[in-house]
Amino acid sequence: MTTLSGGRVTDSATTLDIAHEAVHGTEHAVASEPSPFLISSKKLTMWLFIVADAATFGAILFGYGYLRFGSPNWTKPFSFSPNIINALVMTVVLLTSSLTMLGGVAAAREGRRGATMKWLGATILLGAVFAILHLREWGAMFHEGWSLSANPLGGSVLVGALFFSITGLHLLHVISGVIAILVIAIGFQTQRLTAGHVETTGLYWHFVDLVWMFVFPLVYLLNVH
Amino acid sequence: MTIVEKGAEPGMKVYVSVWLGMVAIVAIEATLVYVHVSAGLLLASLLVLAFLEAAVALRYFMHLKYEVPLLFWTLIPGLLLAFFMMNQFWADAARLNALRFPAP
Repeated sequence: MTTLSGGRVTDSATTLDIAHEAVHGTEHAVASEPSPFLISSKKLTMWLFIVADAATFGAILFGYGYLRFGSPNWTKPFSFSPNIINALVMTVVLLTSSLTMLGGVAAAREGRRGATMKWLGATILLGAVFAILHLREWGAMFHEGWSLSANPLGGSVLVGALFFSITGLHLLHVISGVIAILVIAIGFQTQRLTAGHVETTGLYWHFVDLVWMFVFPLVYLLNVH
Repeated sequence: MTIVEKGAEPGMKVYVSVWLGMVAIVAIEATLVYVHVSAGLLLASLLVLAFLEAAVALRYFMHLKYEVPLLFWTLIPGLLLAFFMMNQFWADAARLNALRFPAP
């Protein structure tokens, strides 16, 4: 039995749970029901965010589809080399970053902090490489005269507007993910965050990869002249 | 209360195999473009391959295979229904816009 500061008496296990909850969040709440999904609340929250974000990307890609096929003067801006080769490299880099993230999650679950840092470091590096390749590609397109409202080939201006909007939203997710993984990695190393945080961030990172699996074929491969 | 998660850890061998499969799908997609198949066949093939890739990513990378089935049934069918509705009704919305009477 333990006496708290207000004179309230409780058993030591409950006190421990309350203290644990204060530090680690509500997943350790004493009197809550078990989750019907058997996952932590933060993981379920991430799943709900992912579903909402998937609907957002789905809406944008459906909008792109309608505008593309509804534009009689649509122009295809990409050639297989160098544009598609560059996009292929970006795709493999992002896929590989998902693999390194899985390594990080597995190492974190086993409590291997050093290995977790190495895997997460590799993920951050690959995410940064993807972003740099993307920005380099954008730079080359801007140099050619492409923008949100200009098409140097003389066709529909929607080509640039849709390309930069869709890839820009995805790139924003990638950059956010890199920052999130960096924050989580530092928190895990300093023992402020748990393996659950690493896993939840990994879920987000795999979603970013999943979205690219649709952006790459629909926005790049269908626009090769 | 600590939640005991259902998921089992499949291991890096499984993950590397899945990764190789996904890289192979990407290579097939690029090959289809390189050999210049017809536009309709290309669109259909790319969509099928993209959904296949996404399903594999959801099952293995995002661990949906190792979670309770209720999680899948709660999240995915509703999302697919939303996509179906976008596919069915947005085209009509654009067409109705064009059918409006001109402004006086």
